[in-house]
Amino acid sequence: MHSLKPVQTQPFQLNQQNFQQINGFEESTQAFRLRLEPIPLKPIRQESIVAAVDTSTIKIGETSQGIVIAVRGADVWKQNRAYRYVRLGPFVFHITDENKKEVYDALERSYFNYSQEHNHQGAPNFLQMPSRIASLLERWIQTMLSKTMNKGLILFDGSLTSGTPDTPTQRLKDILSTARRRGNIVLAFSKMTNLRVNGHVITDLLPRAAPPYLLETEGLRLKPPMVLLGDVYVARLTTGNCAFRLDIDKEVLPEIRIEATEKLLGNDLLSQSYPETLRLAHILCTFTANEVLAMQHFVTRRYGLQIVNRPDMHRLLFGPFGKGESYS
Amino acid sequence: MKLYKKEGNALQILSFPNETVEKGDYLLVEDAEAGRGLIVQVIDAQFASIPGVLEELLRSLPDGGELIQGEDVDPLEIAPHITYIQDASLLICKIRASIENENLSPTSSWLPSRSQSTIKKLPLPALLKLAKIDGKLPIVLGGTKDSSLLAIDASSLDGRLNIITGKKETGKSHLSKLLMVNLIGYKATVVVFDLNGEYLSLGMTGDGKRNAYYDKIHVLTPSQNFKLALKQLNLHVLLGILVHALHLPGTSAREFRRIWQALKERDALTLHELGETIRNWNCNQHVRDALFSRYHALVNSGFFTDNVAEATLLEDCLLKAKEEGSGIIINLRNTSAIDRQIVVEYVLGKLVDSLTSWKLKAVFLFAEEAHLYLRETYWDDIVTRMRHFGIFTTFITNQPDTIRENIYRQADNIFLFNFTNEHDLDVVSRAARVDAETVRSIARDLPPHHCLVLGRVVRDFPMVAKVKALDVKTMGETRLFFKDSN
Repeated sequence: MHSLKPVQTQPFQLNQQNFQQINGFEESTQAFRLRLEPIPLKPIRQESIVAAVDTSTIKIGETSQGIVIAVRGADVWKQNRAYRYVRLGPFVFHITDENKKEVYDALERSYFNYSQEHNHQGAPNFLQMPSRIASLLERWIQTMLSKTMNKGLILFDGSLTSGTPDTPTQRLKDILSTARRRGNIVLAFSKMTNLRVNGHVITDLLPRAAPPYLLETEGLRLKPPMVLLGDVYVARLTTGNCAFRLDIDKEVLPEIRIEATEKLLGNDLLSQSYPETLRLAHILCTFTANEVLAMQHFVTRRYGLQIVNRPDMHRLLFGPFGKGESYS
Repeated sequence: MKLYKKEGNALQILSFPNETVEKGDYLLVEDAEAGRGLIVQVIDAQFASIPGVLEELLRSLPDGGELIQGEDVDPLEIAPHITYIQDASLLICKIRASIENENLSPTSSWLPSRSQSTIKKLPLPALLKLAKIDGKLPIVLGGTKDSSLLAIDASSLDGRLNIITGKKETGKSHLSKLLMVNLIGYKATVVVFDLNGEYLSLGMTGDGKRNAYYDKIHVLTPSQNFKLALKQLNLHVLLGILVHALHLPGTSAREFRRIWQALKERDALTLHELGETIRNWNCNQHVRDALFSRYHALVNSGFFTDNVAEATLLEDCLLKAKEEGSGIIINLRNTSAIDRQIVVEYVLGKLVDSLTSWKLKAVFLFAEEAHLYLRETYWDDIVTRMRHFGIFTTFITNQPDTIRENIYRQADNIFLFNFTNEHDLDVVSRAARVDAETVRSIARDLPPHHCLVLGRVVRDFPMVAKVKALDVKTMGETRLFFKDSN
């Protein structure tokens, strides 16, 4: 929050835009295959805590030197048939080219106790900063969950691919091993995937079998430095045509992985093959327009930033055909 | 508060939770640079259309309609800002006047600056002062929301047509009594058609003692202490009764005129002689039958007598009232519909007579549920002709649709109590002196004994007041079966 102090009373431009987490590093190779024999699943009702983590970030305005962003994370868990949550944030940052490294390093140090020398990733570029900060928060919440839960299911939003700029391999390995030590299983659901077999996205290749079931994949190799820390499945958990890529910690035995998915079926609500806990985590961390207004109100009041509407060049140039940025 | 939008004479103002503004409040929109301002009244308060509110509400109830339990770690304390934005309201206001150098004008053509204007609450005492709602003959109606008194000038009722309306047990009769005693206090002559005997104890305090008005209140109960001798009547007053109240056809009325002349020449204007003369009068049998049936109606009413000593002269009461002011209560309780019309026809005819001959200066007439005794043609008479004679009427009703639309259009003042029925609000909103939205929006939410005052008495600035208590013995209470058991 100290990053906002140098820009007090400066003009500040409204520009709401969600940053999408980029997940397009993976490419399937010739060796990649999808086994079309479904692994049938039977819900296991034995009580298990299901917890999910998600974060989101939003740009709430621009200053002459940079951008003002907000980050928020949510941890939702289902225990004794009731959902509960902890929401962290919003945290508001002023990011400039000058302070981006300082901000990122400070956060990394405080979240993971990593000293500067151990950080081989370096500061992200300016445009990636919002998603990188959100990613840091997400990994931190996941770390905390893996350290505090016992014999539960931890749901991640995304894959178990590591070695990307926002997910150092060691960090994800640490999270997974901590979880394993405490008897937790990590299940990572990806809403979108680029993995293809014979030109078809793997989640479209569904056999005519009654859900719930899993489809196994094999032979997925990633280009270094990326490392896949999970085995990839296609999970069709309810009726309907929705299926998701599901990564399960590869250090866990295959039968335990199946059992974990069956426990998920028995302990969480599933709608369109997607776990309710993860859906709630997403809903709770997402910023609404009302909250963006409130944060603009906050930075205006607390730091005296003047909100200025910069004209939308798309609208200005292309009139009704300009469908780019828009302001509320 | 921030100016948001102007459409016609309606202004929309954005208000935040720390600014407490309610329906009926007045606001001053001041444009310091232009040196002008607008006086607007809040007629409705809505939630401001904040983007994302629906999502906000939906996500708080994702667990089968039950609130999801959780904890928010909000180190920057942004949540109060979210609530602040979410609870912002949009005030729908009506422009009542524009102000320049403390002078008011009823125009709304000027547009204040949206960015520079300041908006603040205009306390009612300040508005009363600006609008010069005071005068030498104040009638305190009651207290306003900001604990000031709302006083109107009695002279603003003078020569005016007023309506007091609202649903049952909201305080209409109470207000009419308040107006009445104040008018009597200022030496005015007040005549009341008291349908339910509610005004009979106007001269008594709540605990049954005489109050300041005791000597000025005269209760006339037809066929008891209010009787007429034929000798005291003018032919045209009696013909008015026969034709309008008893529906005597024209031919028969002509025959009656001859009979009356004949009796008058013989100095035999008594009920007995009238009956005998009709019996022996040489005329068509149908005419005789028609005259006889009306004659019996007059006799059965008990309102007429041959004993001059027991006859009360309304004129005498009116003349007494002329000097010191008084209230003449015509008690129509326990009077049949026909007899009621006979009495009302007589009183109105007599009032017009007295006013035409300048025996009286003017009369304030209070008519409760007038549709029950006022003949059709009198409505127009009252708002047009009789006003010129000096009869200034106040209609009191809980059925606003029983008063004709043209009366609402010509009403100078309306004292409106709570109505929830859309149809009733529709009828009242036809009044010319106020816009329909104001009536609909404010009247619907008025608590009991609170009155929305519209019209000249408040210089067309609609105001809400809680009608003050009056130490008068309550009469006309509804008879209850379970009263003793409660």
